Amino acid sequence: MLVMAAERATTEQDLVKISGRGALVNLQIDDSVPVEAACRTLRDRLASNRHLYAGGAVLVDIGRRILSDDAQERIRKVIESESGLTIKQFWCDPGVLAREQERISGLMALYSRASIHTNGPDQTGVDDERQAESGPTSNVDDEVEQPPQGTRPSVPADIVRGTCRAGEVLKFPGNVVVVGNVNPGAQIIAEGDILVFGTLRGTAHAGASGDSTAVILATSSASPQLRIGDFLAEEDALGGVAGRRRDESDEKPIIARVQNRAVRVSPYLKNHSIDHGGNPNER
Amino acid sequence: MSGKTIVMTSGKGGVGKTTATANVGTALALRSNRVVVIDTDIGLRNLDVVMGLENRIVYDLVDVVEERCRIEQALIRDKHAGELYLVAAAQTRDKDCITAEQLVDLCRRLELDFDYVIVDCPAGIEQGFRNAIAAAQEALVVTTPEVSAIRDADRVIGLLHASDIHSAKLIINRIKPEMVRQGDMLDSSDVLDMLAVDAIGLVPSDDRVITSTNNGTPVVYDSQSPSGREFVRIAARIDGEYLPMIDPVEEQPTSIMDKVRTLMGINRKTSAHV
Repeated sequence: MLVMAAERATTEQDLVKISGRGALVNLQIDDSVPVEAACRTLRDRLASNRHLYAGGAVLVDIGRRILSDDAQERIRKVIESESGLTIKQFWCDPGVLAREQERISGLMALYSRASIHTNGPDQTGVDDERQAESGPTSNVDDEVEQPPQGTRPSVPADIVRGTCRAGEVLKFPGNVVVVGNVNPGAQIIAEGDILVFGTLRGTAHAGASGDSTAVILATSSASPQLRIGDFLAEEDALGGVAGRRRDESDEKPIIARVQNRAVRVSPYLKNHSIDHGGNPNER
Repeated sequence: MSGKTIVMTSGKGGVGKTTATANVGTALALRSNRVVVIDTDIGLRNLDVVMGLENRIVYDLVDVVEERCRIEQALIRDKHAGELYLVAAAQTRDKDCITAEQLVDLCRRLELDFDYVIVDCPAGIEQGFRNAIAAAQEALVVTTPEVSAIRDADRVIGLLHASDIHSAKLIINRIKPEMVRQGDMLDSSDVLDMLAVDAIGLVPSDDRVITSTNNGTPVVYDSQSPSGREFVRIAARIDGEYLPMIDPVEEQPTSIMDKVRTLMGINRKTSAHV
């Protein structure tokens, strides 16, 4: 017991290191502890020396991890309310950052290839569909004149970090990348494409204002409903029951897109999807 | 003394909030803390029954906020545990007869005198829920390994975040190890993975809870009860002690086949996580 208490005491000490660095305060937060514990220690440490810090600027070193916007905001709140310091910058290990950026750009690469796809080999299918459509599809013509095929390598997108929870409805004017899980009962609605780097168990609606060329990509999915433009995923295409036990089929990346006036969900295999559109098994 | 207020919440009803409140409160008091539990389920009061204190109620929560009595008069001392007190809910009123501010004020005053103020939250996410979480610095979210309870827990965690309570910890209640092993019940790690919060207790399903509830004696007094033992551990963890999490599924492999499967590393659980 005593040993444990002593251990705890040292970790409390090392959790947060505060040092001067020129005119800047340098604040190091141990990256092995949960944000919540770090915030608690931070609050205690800062509150006891409030007069020392007021008015200064601080560089917050979060070590070898990437924090969600939410977590950063929590740390920001604690620091600003307990010390009067202004946060100049959050700093994290460049290696970690590089890996994270690599992951995101890898995803974006997948994503842009998928988009090429929708505009590329699938074009005929889409055209058939457009001819078949009668009535209010005025914006379709505009879309045809839109970007030349295969030129969407750097697609602007909003990035959401963290878990999207039941009851949350997130809407985006363009494309969106979610780095985290979308839980059952959450809704992601985007006018453009939706890419989920995590498990998609909630509802996703891509091309929300009627763009049926939009796609939904997820690293794994058990979504009960996917919508693209005005189309709904066929129930048997999904086979997902929200929140059910994970099995291996859920762990594979999927792509959903509109084919033959219905949302088709297929395993997303990056090699295959370069060669041809849709579900490779159907060829 | 400056204690803290912890809200016990779940969204869904019937998952064990009140039982958890009574047991965690009792176990914290048995660790020599001064504890007060507040039943905010006005109109459907239960906590007094679970704790066996119904016949001692003279004044309740609504009497306190409407200033018909002093706080001390509404503090009902527990029969067994030393420094454990209950503020009962009113039976004849409803959730709208107190405001969040009144409850915050009450909790701030109680924190001066107690180590832990535990607020038993009503089911739902309406006024009663908003009142209950307003005063809390920390939250314990109770769920069972069922999709409906998990869905509501997820929603509640989102609402807690929105109210600036980021330290929500999860109690997974009524885990049936046998069903989990057979793949008929969600695994704790699946639940934690989905909800993206830390667990503070994994409570096995236990019929002794029903008996103890009917008797008005919290199950933490029953050293034979697996759920009682876990509630004791939860209290220790709340008190800052580090106790590793014990998954009831791994704790008591029943059949020989299960043991063999575990040895060979081919039980469902391991394969599902590769």
